[in-house]
Amino acid sequence: MSNLAVLPIIIPLIAGIILAFFPKKLALVRTLTKVFIIGNLAVAGFSAWHVFNHGSIILETGDWAAPYGIIIVADQLSVLLVLTTNIMAAACAFYAPYSLPDRKERYYFYTFFFFLITGVSGAFLTGDIFNLFVFFEVLLMASYALIVLGGDKVQLRESVKYVFINLFSSMLFVTAVGFLYGTVGTVNMAQIAQRVQEVDQQGILTAIGILLFFVFAVKAALFPLYYWMPKSYAVPNPVISALFGALLTKVGIYSIIRVFSLIFIHRIDLTHEVFIWIAGLSMIFGVIGALSTNNIKLIIAYNIIPAIGFILWGIGVFNQEAVSGAIYYLIHDMIIKASLFLLVGTIAYAAGTSDLRKFSGLIHYYPFLGWLLFVSGFVLAGIPPFSGFIGKLLLLKGSLADEKVAVVIIALLSSLLILYSIMKIFIRGFWGEKDDTFEPKPVKGRTAPVVALLALSVFLGIGAEFIYPSVESISRYLLDPANYINAVLEG
Amino acid sequence: MIFTVLIPLLLACFVPFISKFKHKIHTGTVIFFIPLAIFFYFIQFIGSGFEPIRHTYSWIPSLGINFDFYLDGLSLLFVLLISGIGALVVLYSVYYLDRSEPLGHFYVYLLMFMSAMLGVVLSDNVFVLYTFWELTSISSFLLIGYWHFKEKSRYGALKSMIITIFGGLSMFGGFALLSVISGTTSIQTMIANADVILDNPYMPLALGFILLGAFTKSAQFPFHIWLPDAMEAPTPVSAYLHSATMVKAGLYLVARFSMIFGSYEWFFIIVSIAGIVTLCWASYMAVHQTDLKAILAFSTISQLGMIMAMLGFGTKAAVFAAVFHILNHATFKGSLFMVAGTVDHETGTRDIRKLGGLLTFMPITATLALFGTFSMAGIPLPFLNGFYSKELFFESTLDLEGGASGIAGFLIDVIPYLAVFGSIFTFVYALYFLFGTFGGKTQLDKLVKKPHEAPIGMLVSPGILVLGVILIGLFPSAVNGTFIAHAAEAVYGEPITKDVHFWHGWDSPAFQMSLVVVGLGALLVTTRRKWNGIYQVFPGKLSVNKVYDTIMGKLNAYSRTITTFYMSGSLRNYMAIILSTILVVTVGFMLATDGFTIDFGNLAPITFIELTVVLIIIASAIGTIFAKKNLAVILIVGVAGYGVSLLFLIYRAPDLALTQLVVETVSVALFLLCFYHLPDLKRLHAPLSTRTTNLIISVGFGALMTLVGISAHSSSWFETISDYFIETSKPIGGGSNIVNVILVDMRGLDTLFEITVLGIAALAIYTLIKFKTDKGGK
Amino acid sequence: MEIIILILAGVLFATAIYNLLQKQLLRLIIGSVLLSHGAHLFLLTMGELKRGNPPILTEGISEYTDPLPQALILTSIVISFGITSLLLVLAYRTSNENNTDNMEQLRGNENE
Repeated sequence: MSNLAVLPIIIPLIAGIILAFFPKKLALVRTLTKVFIIGNLAVAGFSAWHVFNHGSIILETGDWAAPYGIIIVADQLSVLLVLTTNIMAAACAFYAPYSLPDRKERYYFYTFFFFLITGVSGAFLTGDIFNLFVFFEVLLMASYALIVLGGDKVQLRESVKYVFINLFSSMLFVTAVGFLYGTVGTVNMAQIAQRVQEVDQQGILTAIGILLFFVFAVKAALFPLYYWMPKSYAVPNPVISALFGALLTKVGIYSIIRVFSLIFIHRIDLTHEVFIWIAGLSMIFGVIGALSTNNIKLIIAYNIIPAIGFILWGIGVFNQEAVSGAIYYLIHDMIIKASLFLLVGTIAYAAGTSDLRKFSGLIHYYPFLGWLLFVSGFVLAGIPPFSGFIGKLLLLKGSLADEKVAVVIIALLSSLLILYSIMKIFIRGFWGEKDDTFEPKPVKGRTAPVVALLALSVFLGIGAEFIYPSVESISRYLLDPANYINAVLEG
Repeated sequence: MIFTVLIPLLLACFVPFISKFKHKIHTGTVIFFIPLAIFFYFIQFIGSGFEPIRHTYSWIPSLGINFDFYLDGLSLLFVLLISGIGALVVLYSVYYLDRSEPLGHFYVYLLMFMSAMLGVVLSDNVFVLYTFWELTSISSFLLIGYWHFKEKSRYGALKSMIITIFGGLSMFGGFALLSVISGTTSIQTMIANADVILDNPYMPLALGFILLGAFTKSAQFPFHIWLPDAMEAPTPVSAYLHSATMVKAGLYLVARFSMIFGSYEWFFIIVSIAGIVTLCWASYMAVHQTDLKAILAFSTISQLGMIMAMLGFGTKAAVFAAVFHILNHATFKGSLFMVAGTVDHETGTRDIRKLGGLLTFMPITATLALFGTFSMAGIPLPFLNGFYSKELFFESTLDLEGGASGIAGFLIDVIPYLAVFGSIFTFVYALYFLFGTFGGKTQLDKLVKKPHEAPIGMLVSPGILVLGVILIGLFPSAVNGTFIAHAAEAVYGEPITKDVHFWHGWDSPAFQMSLVVVGLGALLVTTRRKWNGIYQVFPGKLSVNKVYDTIMGKLNAYSRTITTFYMSGSLRNYMAIILSTILVVTVGFMLATDGFTIDFGNLAPITFIELTVVLIIIASAIGTIFAKKNLAVILIVGVAGYGVSLLFLIYRAPDLALTQLVVETVSVALFLLCFYHLPDLKRLHAPLSTRTTNLIISVGFGALMTLVGISAHSSSWFETISDYFIETSKPIGGGSNIVNVILVDMRGLDTLFEITVLGIAALAIYTLIKFKTDKGGK
Repeated sequence: MEIIILILAGVLFATAIYNLLQKQLLRLIIGSVLLSHGAHLFLLTMGELKRGNPPILTEGISEYTDPLPQALILTSIVISFGITSLLLVLAYRTSNENNTDNMEQLRGNENE
């Protein structure tokens, strides 16, 4: 049964390799993609079910016992994230044929797509910090390939910046892992946690922890490290933006959750306190960014930043409710961001431009798109009964119980401005007079995946009773690192 | 009860279907029966034997969020208003809205609102209440933007949404705080534990958050500015949402929570000030308006302020009067909005400067308006309900009891005067509305259509409301005995019995105040043209609206300025900011945790060869900065690479040395291939400041890494796991090259994915090169 | 000696970053190459230097240099090589397409 843990990494890897052999047979490639992604989704679903019912799955690769070999740890948090990843990946797979020109699809889009999933799932599942670096590289390399796909001027230009900044953070990652190895003599995360606890995170360890935090923070696009993000996420094709927006930054924030709930938890007064400030600043500057532009894709891209801020806020407060809130928000944001990127991509396609100053009155031709956007805005801003609300409620209560009031006020205000930034698109782009010369284009195929994701998102809010107990159990599990350490080292 | 709340929402799903047949049957005719049924369902609860009812349905029990519906006197009053006025408004809309309009949308929004509003007043669970609260804001937004092709509608819709959702979020913060403090999500349980809440140091914050929600929703000064712009909505909507129901949600909230906060002095101070200031300001401003609906909007604001003030007073008399006036206001203001809509519908304009003399054309409408306005003005006639509540208001301003602090004492002294001031202007705008529209000369040439009496259907709804005005006026104890008393009891906490009479005698102070109002008011009405110029002086150019417009404008402008400032698109700037952040914060943490350690024991000896190699690498690394030719820089970096591989060799890492050698050679070849044809490196002619910053950042970062490295190296607290690899490499791994065994066996997964990375890179490079040249496909 | 190597790695980081803060693409790539050298040397030093023989099992010898950092560095070298090659081609294409190798001219504007 323990091999189940590695399947969500292996299946997309194999799928990617297979699809690389006949990239020109598009019909076949598309069909196979759907088969593989749905298969993987089923596997991820099954393993999630298994983990929630029978406990974490620990796979010692090559049969080398922990802490010596690389350990794959499918715990509740990991499988939930892998499952969410696959859900939105499936939506993207169904959206892609409508949105990408055939030519780009032929140039190994689906192979890169699957490699990206491989890297993301691997990062969620691995229990080894150097292996985490390797998976980071897999997903980054796949993202480099995707971001330059097509090679327009703009794309090339933004991707150069993207690659350099990520390359720097990768090298910092290697170095920080080295430093960690120098002090605690191991790269197995459970053992690192154990040893850091033994020496009470003394001396240089906190500084090393902060270096790691920055490595992840660059990927997560936190203040003030997100400069590379909005543009490079807004320029590629909507499918690619959706994959990036929903997955890449989330891998960064996942790593922060993991490392700062498992390893560096003995100087919370310093580290986690700083996180709250960074979270607050991310919320402020993120929404300021979202309000600054008329480019609807950029609006969504900027909205990633406050969302990551919300999640970090929960880690910073670090109590049961706040961590539950952070995880709930993480899941919620993965889905709604994917949905929004796809939706806004569709709107830009329908309108023929992504410049908000150049279109209006779309609702006369695309009422459905308009209402999707309208609902998405409320989902994103965390207006009840939608999914963002549940996460925000938990974060708020956790934070208030800890008497952290300033960040609560920032969070509430930024929610308002998030809503405003989306409603701006609705009011200016969809409302208005009918333009009789406008010729609508068909968008049916593109809306179906958006609807599916949005429906799921709505369900996450209204049906919170079905999800919340799992999230609560995850946060209880995270707050006691002994759970993880024992499962890996003594299981 | 859950069905009555959710039925409108569920039925809203069928409206698009019904509206397909709108040419056969006006959609509103069908919808009409929904609120009517709800009204008749709730009317059964009126009676002296009424006891609060609670129905609970789980939703998210693990978060304490449940549909916990609680019907007490206060809820009942609101529920009947919502459904009763709702039915009348729908009926009115059947004649007001043409069938060519998108009726489906209209009724979907309206039903959505109805559900939301019923939910607000029935929910005992704070978070469910908040959910419905936001839904009212959303449906209001959609209704204001119903004619979204008009710029003003869009502006008004956005404004109302920003302000009310701002308040909603604030209220949400307050609710979250209350639920953390009290450990419950039920309002009734909170009320039962009010002392726990009052003793908590965060109570004032919670109160502030909640009041912000209430004040924005109920359009209290200075948040009132959204309401006049909300008049862009179709008139039935204004009558319903923006006068009778939604704007009273804030009052409801304050009334509900006054059981908790009532004994806190600042509750009295803040709520009274907000209310009385709103009353005076809005009634003063109403006289200055030219649009019929704008007059009514300001009038609504001022009446809301009056009720708010009474809730702030919190005395028996005040609470009773507040609740009573909620009902009375709904009746006369609802009818007046419908009158304004009718006038607009029949003449094509709502501009009071173009109207006048309509009495002859629209006698029935004029009669209805007469009752409405006189009731609003509080003219002492025994068949007008407005007079009773106005008189109760005056009474309540007079029997306030002394507070401890100076502010409260001062307030108690001035409130009666302000109340009279506000009421004088109420009198003035009421008569201005009436005579401006129906009295004076007709100006037919300025009207779009030739006016005539409205169809009978359009007169039914305001007629019924006016009938309410008269009946309550004639038989005040019919409603006060049980209905209003129950509502007031729910707010005050103890039974209140109040005998309302028309006649209190000449010596009654409240009646004397009323006489002052009528007298001075009449004087001001007749001389209106003479003092109208005062509006140029005050408020003149001062306006809260301008503040809002400035904030919204600046919000966009400043965010653009800020964002373009740092999002310069320059990689160098990005890198510089990222690096300095990491540098500063990490150094800060090193200092804070006393992280630096250095241990000179346990070091390898220094040899000459190593030192030479190190110096060569340093030299070439620095050389890369100064090299000016492509070729040179590529070769120099090659030297550094070979130096590193030499170091690997010295440090007993043959595999690394070999790999590095191969990689370096290939890299150099690649470099040459790609960059041989590119323009040569230019001199670095960046400004000195840039160069200095670069230098500081890079040296600082290098030093930081070295320091962390030294500390890490000096803090090897544990045996590494490598001993295990050395022991097991041969027996289990089956190889004598330990590094290789680690790579292919113990850490085989790393290697597998390292190859994957290379594979992706190769494919990506292929794509990059090929995509350009391959012009096939689309 | 370890301290000297750590200083060397620090110098490599510093020069790398100085290059990364420049405008011309080639310099940036050079910077990234130096950066990876620095990172690898840091990693190498974290195992002890020159304690024992190369980690190839030989009869009669029981002291070996720490093999794990070497394995990690090897992985990292290969990955860095992959990225550097991609970067080179990317840089080549970018400067060709945009007709400049100056990053300051590659800022772009909002609506594209």
